[in-house]
Amino acid sequence: MDFNSYWAAVDAELAAIPGRPVLDLVPSRMTDEATSYTVRLTSTGPYRVFGHLSIPTGDGPFPALLHTPRYGSVNHIPHPNDRSRYVVFGLMHRGQRLADEGFSAAYPGLLTMDIDHPASYIYRGIAADCLRAAEFLMGLTEVDPARVAVAGNDLAVLTAARRPGFSAVRVSELLFYRALEARLRSCLYPLEELNDHLRAGSSVETLERTLSYFDPVRHAPAVSGRTLLAVDNPDWAAQLVEALPAASVYRLTHLDGTDNDFLDAWLAEQSGVPPMSRFVVG
Amino acid sequence: MRDPENATVEVERPADFDDFWAAGLADCASYPLDPVLTEMPALSTDKVIVYDLRYTSFGGLRIAGWYTVPRDLPAPYPALVTIPGYISEPTIPKEWSELGYAALAVAPRGKLRSNSVFNPGYPGLLTHNIVDHNTYGYRGFYLDVVRAVDVLLDRPEVDNARIGLQGSSQGGGLGISTAALRPDAIACVAAGAPYLCGIMTAPTLTRSYPYEEINEYLRVHPKDVDRVRETVAYYDGLNFAPNVQAPTLLYLGLEDDVCPPETGFALHRVLTCETTLHTFPHCAHHAGLPGVMRIVEDFLAEHLKPGR
Repeated sequence: MDFNSYWAAVDAELAAIPGRPVLDLVPSRMTDEATSYTVRLTSTGPYRVFGHLSIPTGDGPFPALLHTPRYGSVNHIPHPNDRSRYVVFGLMHRGQRLADEGFSAAYPGLLTMDIDHPASYIYRGIAADCLRAAEFLMGLTEVDPARVAVAGNDLAVLTAARRPGFSAVRVSELLFYRALEARLRSCLYPLEELNDHLRAGSSVETLERTLSYFDPVRHAPAVSGRTLLAVDNPDWAAQLVEALPAASVYRLTHLDGTDNDFLDAWLAEQSGVPPMSRFVVG
Repeated sequence: MRDPENATVEVERPADFDDFWAAGLADCASYPLDPVLTEMPALSTDKVIVYDLRYTSFGGLRIAGWYTVPRDLPAPYPALVTIPGYISEPTIPKEWSELGYAALAVAPRGKLRSNSVFNPGYPGLLTHNIVDHNTYGYRGFYLDVVRAVDVLLDRPEVDNARIGLQGSSQGGGLGISTAALRPDAIACVAAGAPYLCGIMTAPTLTRSYPYEEINEYLRVHPKDVDRVRETVAYYDGLNFAPNVQAPTLLYLGLEDDVCPPETGFALHRVLTCETTLHTFPHCAHHAGLPGVMRIVEDFLAEHLKPGR
């Protein structure tokens, strides 16, 4: 199946399944700044996934921010700083905690689950979860459709590419980008999962074929929003930068207080809200 | 402006603190450790042998871990317990065995591979039964790490005089508690951005998770504040610190929004063991990562001497 057909099939599956979101208030997260909810909604499968939603206090519409899931069993609850400025939605994909009724992802293991078969590779469903989350967020009346951002790893690029309307894309901690090269650099997980899988009998060609559907370079040309890539090595990221229509690069300093503030300020500027540091100075 | 190095962070030490933890250790000792190691050829490499590990801990719960040893180096090995952070699952610690250590990455109760009985989820662990120190969720969690040390002591290929602890954030905090509860067994501790120190002060200094869980809990249970304070005093690294005897490496980010640097400095002040402190301006919870890992590796190598 070619690239476009693969993803068109995902879109078709999603279009056939209503999201049917259910929102529940979270009293412990109710503040003067924002109202918080848990959200459950249906993605492909069908499978109910989970998210943390927060809506700022005041008269909207507000800028919005989708956090695509990281690689790991849990994702952070959106930070109060973000909850005060954005309609923010943090997704737990299928298999992560709070979205694990029926399927609990294994770590290590998720990255290579059914990776030999593109049609059933777990990340096909996870990508669908992200797309469903984007549809949900963009459908909220409190959201200003001109100011919707997405932040995360390669899944943020994929989501912005396949759902028009994201005005800003903030990318860090790439997972799929040049993964078959990056796996050779160390024995550190999660990319070591690829090495484990190869030792178990798969082939580089097989992995290459499946991972090509998730290669952010292939998705990048369809991204319309301004994009910031936060990377260790801009030279390593050059292929992706060149493929994105409106990309800039932030070279991580690994002074992560400084990095966090820069990344926050970039998105705040794109979204028309004030920057905020997570480190409370006084 | 904040002055983290000189800020006051105080925790009352319960009169029965040592007795409380002695009772927990006695409960652990009442169960056979019963370690079961299963070699995992598909996860092993030409340099490292990987085992799935299960053992029995506090309350009789079976706890999981990943255990790795160097494939070609001669035993005995120095050993490390690597302790996971609050949101992370323990990864297979091949990188440490490539450096010559037997390494045990513990998955304390509630982590995915050890949650069949106790599963507070995320968020949740920090406030699970937080009004009662006897049933607080962290009680077994702390002791599961101590029992991981017992697993290493039980391994014939491990040199019992060269066992260290390594972790950051929750892993750093539990490095302190574990070293305090097994002072006879631990040769050194490398603790980054230590969590669970100054537990009641930290949520007043940050809005970041996990400490924000305490703010959320008290938002809906404001009358519980004294009971919460009483409970977490039994679990606070500042109260464990005086019992730590092993040389300890601490590293802190001076702009850490997750574990405020005030609490790390407070820990440093109350540690009476040989202590090395590194602080990193403009760093947050990464506390100097990735560069600080070279310091950590050198510190562990100095005390544990891998390859000998």
